[in-house]
Amino acid sequence: MPAIIETTGLVMQFASTRALESLDLRVPSGVTGLVGANGAGKTTLISITLGLLKPTSGSIKVLGLDPSSNGPELRARIGYGPERNVLPDDMRAYDFVRHFAQIKGLPRDEARSRASDSLYLVGLGEERFRALGTMSTGQRQRVKLAQAIAADPSFIVLDEPTDGLDPVQRDEMLSIIVDVNRKFGIDVMLSSHVLEEVERICDHVVALDAGRLVAQGTMAELAGASGGVEVELVDIADRPGSIDDVERRLAGAGLNVRRTVFTLAVSGRPDEELFDAIAQSVAASGARVRRLGPRRRSLDDVFTADIHAATTQHAGGVS
Amino acid sequence: MTMSPTGPPAAGARTGAGNGAHIVDRGFQRYEGPRAGVPQAIGSVAWQSMRATLGLGRPARHKIFPVIAIAIAYVPAIVFVGLSVLISDLLDPNEIADYASYYGFITAAILLFAGLVAPEVLVGDRRNGMLALYLSTPLHRGTYLVAKGIAVLATLAMVTLGPPLLLLIGYTFANVGPDGLGDWLVVLLRIFVSAFAVSGALTAISMAASSITDRRAFASIGVILLALATPAVASALVDGAELSANWRLIDVFSMPFELVFRIFGESGSFPELSTLNIMLVNAGWVIGGLAVVALRYSRMVVAR
Repeated sequence: MPAIIETTGLVMQFASTRALESLDLRVPSGVTGLVGANGAGKTTLISITLGLLKPTSGSIKVLGLDPSSNGPELRARIGYGPERNVLPDDMRAYDFVRHFAQIKGLPRDEARSRASDSLYLVGLGEERFRALGTMSTGQRQRVKLAQAIAADPSFIVLDEPTDGLDPVQRDEMLSIIVDVNRKFGIDVMLSSHVLEEVERICDHVVALDAGRLVAQGTMAELAGASGGVEVELVDIADRPGSIDDVERRLAGAGLNVRRTVFTLAVSGRPDEELFDAIAQSVAASGARVRRLGPRRRSLDDVFTADIHAATTQHAGGVS
Repeated sequence: MTMSPTGPPAAGARTGAGNGAHIVDRGFQRYEGPRAGVPQAIGSVAWQSMRATLGLGRPARHKIFPVIAIAIAYVPAIVFVGLSVLISDLLDPNEIADYASYYGFITAAILLFAGLVAPEVLVGDRRNGMLALYLSTPLHRGTYLVAKGIAVLATLAMVTLGPPLLLLIGYTFANVGPDGLGDWLVVLLRIFVSAFAVSGALTAISMAASSITDRRAFASIGVILLALATPAVASALVDGAELSANWRLIDVFSMPFELVFRIFGESGSFPELSTLNIMLVNAGWVIGGLAVVALRYSRMVVAR
């Protein structure tokens, strides 16, 4: 799969702050989630991708081009939806989208028709002649997306596209973003701090923490990595304490056990050994099993574990 | 093919009652056609900035200031042309306002525009994040500033070029204009050069002021204060302290208009100053102003 973004040893230093630390990453085609807490380096990476900032060292290729030396050519092929509320209040949505389509090189007539088409696509067809200042947060987020796609880019970068949206609006926005990729083949990188939405729609994830890459890969690769085994037990009236007994036996065998009411998440050894240990403990306790299977890690788990690992490794490296 | 549940009707959708008429709405699709380059991007940004400054496509309150400034600039020209048409027989051609001295009637309009336009065009983009959005397009800082400079220059030209042109055309129809096509073309050329000189100097100065502060009002006040204070300082130095007449060259607001007199072959308000010095000081203001803008923007960290 061709890389949309490829970096090698990318470093960004601002005065005394190192915003990106030797970043080696590869963003393939599809929908990519860029996740990380505030200050993780997401903004810096987006700014370098767009050519707004020049990296201190290392290299970056976006769509095969260097943003520092091929900026105008590259940016004509990239759409960008900023996080900040940059929309001028007294401009009509249609005029705003058309204006940016023209800046990106579309002929005037084409820019006009594509401004309307883009606004229809994001569900604002009937609202396109309204002043931006009269629109809701959700509508303004959609206008930013329409602006990003109007000039038919190969790749769009969306910075927190669901920020400020209610759950219904968020679902709609995520659905449109997926459509933009699946139906029109426009690659997408979206930054978000809401892991659940990244998990829902992204094919690929890049996780940053304090300027360092802590994880990257497809959702299947990251979530498919062993999360242990999960067993849900039945609380039986004539065998009180059987679930407690299973938990005690597993913990006594040196396994990591995390209990949520009737469910035990067990980890610490290969899955086959975990299955055996659970089977023996359940048989010995006389408990009954409702569900047993490998535990799929959520992005939240992956992120938390990988940040912990990276932090530990970094601290070890420093010391 | 409908691309969205909320999208337009499906491509090829047929409407009408069997009369064969139909509306085809293709919906959003990929674009394979030609793309224009950076010049179109510059033109688009310049045009949009001009429209915004003049309040076009914006609520009425944004039109008040430009309308007042334009009215101040054009009304005297309309009056002069009207007088020359209505009572041309009674007028001595030497008594009607000439092209160079006309600027004296519209100083307020030019000052108002100079103080308004560049801050409106430049400061807002930095404050609301539009600058980052513009720089995520094929424009870079240099081409963005060229676009904005064109917008400021063209908007200022509305009050520096339009009224003298109106005078020329009006005087020509009233038979008090230049004699013969040759003279007429020379005056036309002088009007264009003069307007460019005045607009160029004020564009550079007002853009420099607008690049220093992120407050639109401060930038506007800065331009107006500079325009009002430097003549006073120059006068105090030359007339009060009896220093060299060349100290008048620091008068940033008068020098562009003094240059206009020289372009029309007149001695102007400060005959003691050489034309070369006036040209050099105007060029200095333009180069200095643009250097400040370039320096400010090259050092600006624009992220998102």
